[in-house]
Amino acid sequence: MNFDAFILMKSEMSLTLIIFFLLILKVWDGIKDNTALLHVVNFLLLINLITGFFGNTDGSLFSGMFHTNNTIYLEKNILKLGMFIISLQSFDWLKNHKHLLEFYILMLCTLLGMDFMISSNNFLMFFLGLELSSIPLAALANFDLEKRKSSESALKMILSSAFASAIMLFGISILYGVTGTLDFTEMAPLLTTSQLSILAFLFVFAGFAFKLSSVPFHLWTADVYEGAPVSVTSYLSVISKGSIVFIFITILFQLFKSYDTIWVNVLNISLLLSITIGNLFAMRQENIKRFLAFSSIAQMGYILLALTNGTQTGESAAIFFLLVYTFSNLGAFGVVALLSAETGKETISDMKGFYVNNKFASWVMAICLFSLAGIPPTAGFFAKMFLVTAGAEKGNYTVISIAVLNMVVSLYYYLRIIKAIFIDKPDTPLAKLNGSMMMKISFVICISGAIIMGFASNLFEYINTITGK
Amino acid sequence: MDFYDILFWILSVMAVGCALGVVLSRNPIHSVIFLILTFFAISGHYLIMNAQFLAIVNIIVYAGAIMVLFLYILMLMNLNADAEPQKGLLVQIAGILSGGTLFLVLLAATKSAHNEEINKVSTNVGLITNLGKLLFTKYVLPFEISSVLFLTAMIGAIVIGKKEPQLKNGEEHIA
Amino acid sequence: MELLILFRNQRLILHLHFKTNTVNQFLTISFSSIAAAIHNWLALSIPNETLVKVIDLTITGVLLLGFLVILCFFLGYMERKVAGFMQARYGPNRVGPYGSLQIVADTVKLLFKEGLTPKASDKFLFHLAPVIIVVASLLVMAPIAFASNFQIWDISIGVLYMSSVSSIAVIGILMAGYSSYNKYSLLGAMRSGAQIVSYELSVGLSLIAIVILSGSLQLSHIVESQRDGWWIYKGHLPIIISFVIFLIASTAEINRAPFDLAEAEQELTAGFHTEYSGMKFAMFLLAEYINLFVVSAIAATIFFGGWMPFHLGHWEAFNHIMNFIPGFIWFFGKTFFIIFIIMQFRWTFPRLRVDQLLTLEWKYLLPISMVNTILVTVMAIMGWHF
Repeated sequence: MNFDAFILMKSEMSLTLIIFFLLILKVWDGIKDNTALLHVVNFLLLINLITGFFGNTDGSLFSGMFHTNNTIYLEKNILKLGMFIISLQSFDWLKNHKHLLEFYILMLCTLLGMDFMISSNNFLMFFLGLELSSIPLAALANFDLEKRKSSESALKMILSSAFASAIMLFGISILYGVTGTLDFTEMAPLLTTSQLSILAFLFVFAGFAFKLSSVPFHLWTADVYEGAPVSVTSYLSVISKGSIVFIFITILFQLFKSYDTIWVNVLNISLLLSITIGNLFAMRQENIKRFLAFSSIAQMGYILLALTNGTQTGESAAIFFLLVYTFSNLGAFGVVALLSAETGKETISDMKGFYVNNKFASWVMAICLFSLAGIPPTAGFFAKMFLVTAGAEKGNYTVISIAVLNMVVSLYYYLRIIKAIFIDKPDTPLAKLNGSMMMKISFVICISGAIIMGFASNLFEYINTITGK
Repeated sequence: MDFYDILFWILSVMAVGCALGVVLSRNPIHSVIFLILTFFAISGHYLIMNAQFLAIVNIIVYAGAIMVLFLYILMLMNLNADAEPQKGLLVQIAGILSGGTLFLVLLAATKSAHNEEINKVSTNVGLITNLGKLLFTKYVLPFEISSVLFLTAMIGAIVIGKKEPQLKNGEEHIA
Repeated sequence: MELLILFRNQRLILHLHFKTNTVNQFLTISFSSIAAAIHNWLALSIPNETLVKVIDLTITGVLLLGFLVILCFFLGYMERKVAGFMQARYGPNRVGPYGSLQIVADTVKLLFKEGLTPKASDKFLFHLAPVIIVVASLLVMAPIAFASNFQIWDISIGVLYMSSVSSIAVIGILMAGYSSYNKYSLLGAMRSGAQIVSYELSVGLSLIAIVILSGSLQLSHIVESQRDGWWIYKGHLPIIISFVIFLIASTAEINRAPFDLAEAEQELTAGFHTEYSGMKFAMFLLAEYINLFVVSAIAATIFFGGWMPFHLGHWEAFNHIMNFIPGFIWFFGKTFFIIFIIMQFRWTFPRLRVDQLLTLEWKYLLPISMVNTILVTVMAIMGWHF
């Protein structure tokens, strides 16, 4: 018997096993204690994360449907790491939730979809993975079952995401019509610069831009982020987007390689709009989740900036940025999750005087926001620097200067929150929030990641070598 | 003009006309009926191309199952004519402009595309034996993934749709 | 020799070809030679090939319609007689000998009745709905094998075709319910929709049992696979289970008692056809009887071998004697036997409540048929059938 399939697909296999295990647990209904269940699940996710680092071999399966290499393993590990941190952070919220197991089943199914999507070498697989990673998320957005806002966000997400998928599918079908194949490697040399296939590329790009929520396809983001439970919001903004960026890199750099003069322009327009509009709107937000939504729109703009590079420098800069972004954004979301789970409040003015009683959480928030803003000692600075230098290699200095200008603007709103936490004095400061042990562990992981990644220069070199292959 | 051509034209006119009917009719139920007819016309095209399985599956999935769900939703909706929100003139003009531009671009792109004469030689690709073989060899992975997709859709729908038991007074609300 | 409409070479060909009775032992009356003669005569007298095909198809359609009208007269009479028999009364006995012309009289009455259209109704859909229901039940007739090599369209996925096309009727029912502008109609239609959609699953799964064993979806192949015995006998226990499930689920699918919630007269007046009168009402009745016939014909074909005579393994002499009975007599005999059973249900079981109906399907029939499917698969792999 050939065990290749089990070795190459080990991350998918382990995820599937966990999903089955959880399904059986649900049907059996034997463990009534949510806390115990959460510990079991977190333990499984930790094992799942650890297995990602061993026994990685390159290869492809199912006549080119599925392929994997070291870069893909790294990308999957980033996603798994994010999943683990989110799982730790949602401990406080889930320990009283009725549908705990469904939450994890759906969440892991989306992760499974993302894994398949990243590994896909075929539009069919890619599209199925994309749908598997986005449809359950709409259900997850509704997991605050008694909140109207949550249902609203789920509905908005499923409708707009169905629309985006339809447009992307239309593009894919035109591509299939033009080339007669769905396989990336077979399709790439067949793509000519005929108007029809360029149009198809634009449709596919529109679908991606929607999932990345880059302007002008960003309108769903803020509403969905605001209504969804904090854990789901952080999942959407970090993991879902990260996985889309990973496959977007593959599709742009490999499949649409011959169109690079075209997509550079498309990306430039989209990224400038994303950065500017994301920043301008982020300044005005009162709700922290909405604020983080717009900030993530701006961050996606910077990733697109690196992608304009079109070579592996851009790819490795984007992957490194996403790794850092996972730590810093999840740290910030973790604090919001803590606040939301304990008090139900989610606005910036609610955070006034947060520092008085919650020193550790305040520092976590501060470090993560500094990292998101790209302030030097944190990893975010280096990550952003790599992005901008990768973008600058093309010599498009107008775009670069606008992007850098926007980084300065973004400092304003990140510091606004920090000001609210540390300086503003409300009449009654927030009481001490007793986060669980799990939350604290996640904070430690996040801040250590956000700081250490900046100094671990050999990590970036490692990424650079594996993407170069 | 032989029999096949006549059928082709009838089905094409039916498909396009009904598709227009879906968009243009004011009554949502009529739209749904037009949509069903469109699917039938497309199934007819599949039959002409000797893809019998595809034709039947198209009917089962779209014309049968999904349409029934659709009708349910529509019947549960409030269908009063005055409930329909009227769009402003500016929005209408913007819609017409953008839609028309997209249509123009699509048309121009399709027209400029390199057209090959479709090979009219009959193939047996669409027959169920060949489809079954492909589905269990080359496309087995997507096939299995789609089952996971349905599973998640079901779980999600049940979690959202299931009514929580009413809480009695004095009972603590567990979220 | 067969009457076939095949889509080959992307052309619609009315495929008529002689097979000089390769299976000589079947003494079937060959309807097909008549069809071939008509086709040849048309082809000789009309030069235009397309027109010949159109005329061929038209003749087929008209004949089918005529057959169905006669069939419905007969089924209507049969139903009332069976009802009378079960309730120890006479049933119709005034019009014609033994009341045999009762249905004709009823039809004449319906023809002369005024066809009312409610003022607030959606006129177009209101008139369209009965047509769609009848057309849907007519379409299902296409792949049914009445006798050896006598089939309108031997499509390669006959079983799938029948189960898909029969589900179109629900659209007509929902349409009728919606367009009547009457809450009884709408409620009836919704019930019937829920019922058909759920019971379709069991119908499909029970048919799949035979598809697994015979290895084909084509009805002529399925009939041929029962040359050495019908599946109900060859497949023993699992097939008997799936036959019972099929019988229950398809009774529900055609909205007959005890599953006639869609027209429960105590609650909903007459359900989705409350507002219909005259000939449009007659069309619902027509569709109901055609569906009854179709369902029984499917059961007869799939489980009881269709036109295939009663054969037992390799008892050549016995098989040979059985072959002297023509195929179409076997087919109609089996079909009417099953119709008789379904008609008996009506007067045996009380009507189910909606929750009982859905419980029966989702909690009992569906799990049983799923397990049964696995059982049949194992049986097919291990060769545990005869």
